[in-house]
Amino acid sequence: MSNGLLTTAVGSYPKPDYITRARAQRQRGDISAEELEELEKQATAYWIKVQEDVEMDVVVDGEMYRGDMVAYFAENMDGFTNSGLVRSYGNRYYRKPIATGPIGRGKSITVDWWKYAQSLTDRPVKGMLTGPYTIVDWSFNEYYPTREAFIMDTALAVREEAMDLAKAGCKYIQIDEPALSVRPEEMEIAAKAFAVVTDGLDALTITHICYGDFAKVFPHLATFPVDMLDMEMTNSDFDFLELIREYPSFDKYLAMGVVDVHNHVIEPLDKVKAGIKMGLEVLTPERLFIDPDCGLKTRMVDESIAKLQVISDAVREVKEELGIE
Amino acid sequence: MITTMVGNYPKISPDAKAPSLRQAITRFDESRITFEDVKRVEDETTKEVIQDQVDAGLDLVTDGQIRWDDGQTYFARGIKGFAVNGLIRYFDTNTYYRHPIPENKLQSNGAITVKDYEFAAANSARPVKAVVTGPYSLARLSQLGCYEDLRSLVMDLVPILNREAKALQDAGASVIQFDEPSILKHKEDIDLFAEAIQGVRDGITATTGICTIFGDATGVHERLFGLPVDIVSLDFIMGPANYDLVGDFPQGKSLGCGIVDARNTRLEAVEEIAANIGRISKSVSIDRLHVNPSCGLDFLPRPNARAKLARLAEGARKAQEDLS
Repeated sequence: MSNGLLTTAVGSYPKPDYITRARAQRQRGDISAEELEELEKQATAYWIKVQEDVEMDVVVDGEMYRGDMVAYFAENMDGFTNSGLVRSYGNRYYRKPIATGPIGRGKSITVDWWKYAQSLTDRPVKGMLTGPYTIVDWSFNEYYPTREAFIMDTALAVREEAMDLAKAGCKYIQIDEPALSVRPEEMEIAAKAFAVVTDGLDALTITHICYGDFAKVFPHLATFPVDMLDMEMTNSDFDFLELIREYPSFDKYLAMGVVDVHNHVIEPLDKVKAGIKMGLEVLTPERLFIDPDCGLKTRMVDESIAKLQVISDAVREVKEELGIE
Repeated sequence: MITTMVGNYPKISPDAKAPSLRQAITRFDESRITFEDVKRVEDETTKEVIQDQVDAGLDLVTDGQIRWDDGQTYFARGIKGFAVNGLIRYFDTNTYYRHPIPENKLQSNGAITVKDYEFAAANSARPVKAVVTGPYSLARLSQLGCYEDLRSLVMDLVPILNREAKALQDAGASVIQFDEPSILKHKEDIDLFAEAIQGVRDGITATTGICTIFGDATGVHERLFGLPVDIVSLDFIMGPANYDLVGDFPQGKSLGCGIVDARNTRLEAVEEIAANIGRISKSVSIDRLHVNPSCGLDFLPRPNARAKLARLAEGARKAQEDLS
């Protein structure tokens, strides 16, 4: 593996039609949990192969077995009840969990999937978790008297899972907090909870954050208890780089999203290269990772592969041009 | 005392009798059914959600805004000059809307919600409140686009939305509510806001209201209470400090009270609701209260929303008994 400008992905890939169908069949009880899992393994292997083909450095399992990033964990933790569907926007809905008792991790949730994905490849596979603040923010609360109590209990549960991933040999653990930047007044609680998850964890820790007013909370982000920030850039005109430039003591790794995940169009190679070079003006190649803006699950399979390919091509050419090993 | 809704209501439900709107829109997106087919499902769903409100015992209902993606784009798409851009988060919620952007000077393109009002009124056993996104918040939640500053965008929206309100009034709407979720996040704009409200209700003889959510009015409450509208609505869940402000509420106006949490499934106890109404009624007499959820109920699954409304009505009845 090269030392600079490593490529990675944010987490999810689109589910092939046979998975979507099988999940619906499973919900109706038409197929068994084992039958569904076999298909999910098949799809996971497919995406591992895709990532090897485009020579991605740090790969993900693609989350074929997850629906929503919060509901998936809530369904597997203690203390949550499943609720009905709520609308996210337009015609999109998700199941919003309800905390009805004390939150606990229960059995390990993602470790077996991580081991399976890692068994298929020599490239490091990232462990993918959802952070305590986001789990709480995207759930209803019928149990805890305060948000802070809810957040801190959830943090302990996520920590248990992170520790088990590290114990299994996972070297990159991403703990996503897309809800993080929404309430500046809660950044301190969110950071305290995140520190519970990452403290002493023997892995490089990453968090993906999106949809926020980052200028307002940047000092909090720059000191957040995590090794790497993963930020969408395409969707925000690379403004985040300016914030880093104006903050000389910024010492984290940055994973930089260079292709839009909300758009069918495959970005031209030159545009992606230009984005990467903007990142290199601010950070050394060792501290800069390159990936899509966000999970690709809402794109088509072909679009996703094309977007991964253009990232890979752009990184290779930039490395050649600038002599980066 | 009047029990009412703020605005929106969940569009889908596992126990819906109307055909699934979610499925209809998916089929429409796949070009398998026509827009007319979707409209028919929207009509059926609207009737069903009005009935939910009537069954819960509300005095004043809305059409549930079943046809709206959200409060911004439904109006932006009906106003000449607006384009609609990428997704952006709606305040601190986990819901998103497409960001409207004025590409040309904005102009009225005819009535936007009048047909919806007429349909709802014809299908409701109770009076229907018409809801219009207010000029200040519609501007705040849009990009500036071709406009130089917020003020010029707001003031161009004022006559367009005033015309909408007049058309609603002509169609028979007796209560028109302007939704202004943004003002409490930008209290520094209260002068511009007051000017916009003055303009948008100009010439309206129907009962008018402004509805604020997601915060308290500390610092601007006297200005807010003094605006030339009949009802001022406050969110007492996300803005508990509003309880301390109602002592200054003027005579001759009604206070809208968001007192059950429309963003959480936990059901408030009847006694809790009654006690909170009682607390407010020490300052504002009960006959001048509109009691409603803290914001639109679209944040909840429909069975939970329905339970909230029933509980709200129950709490209001209990308050009335306690106080009489």
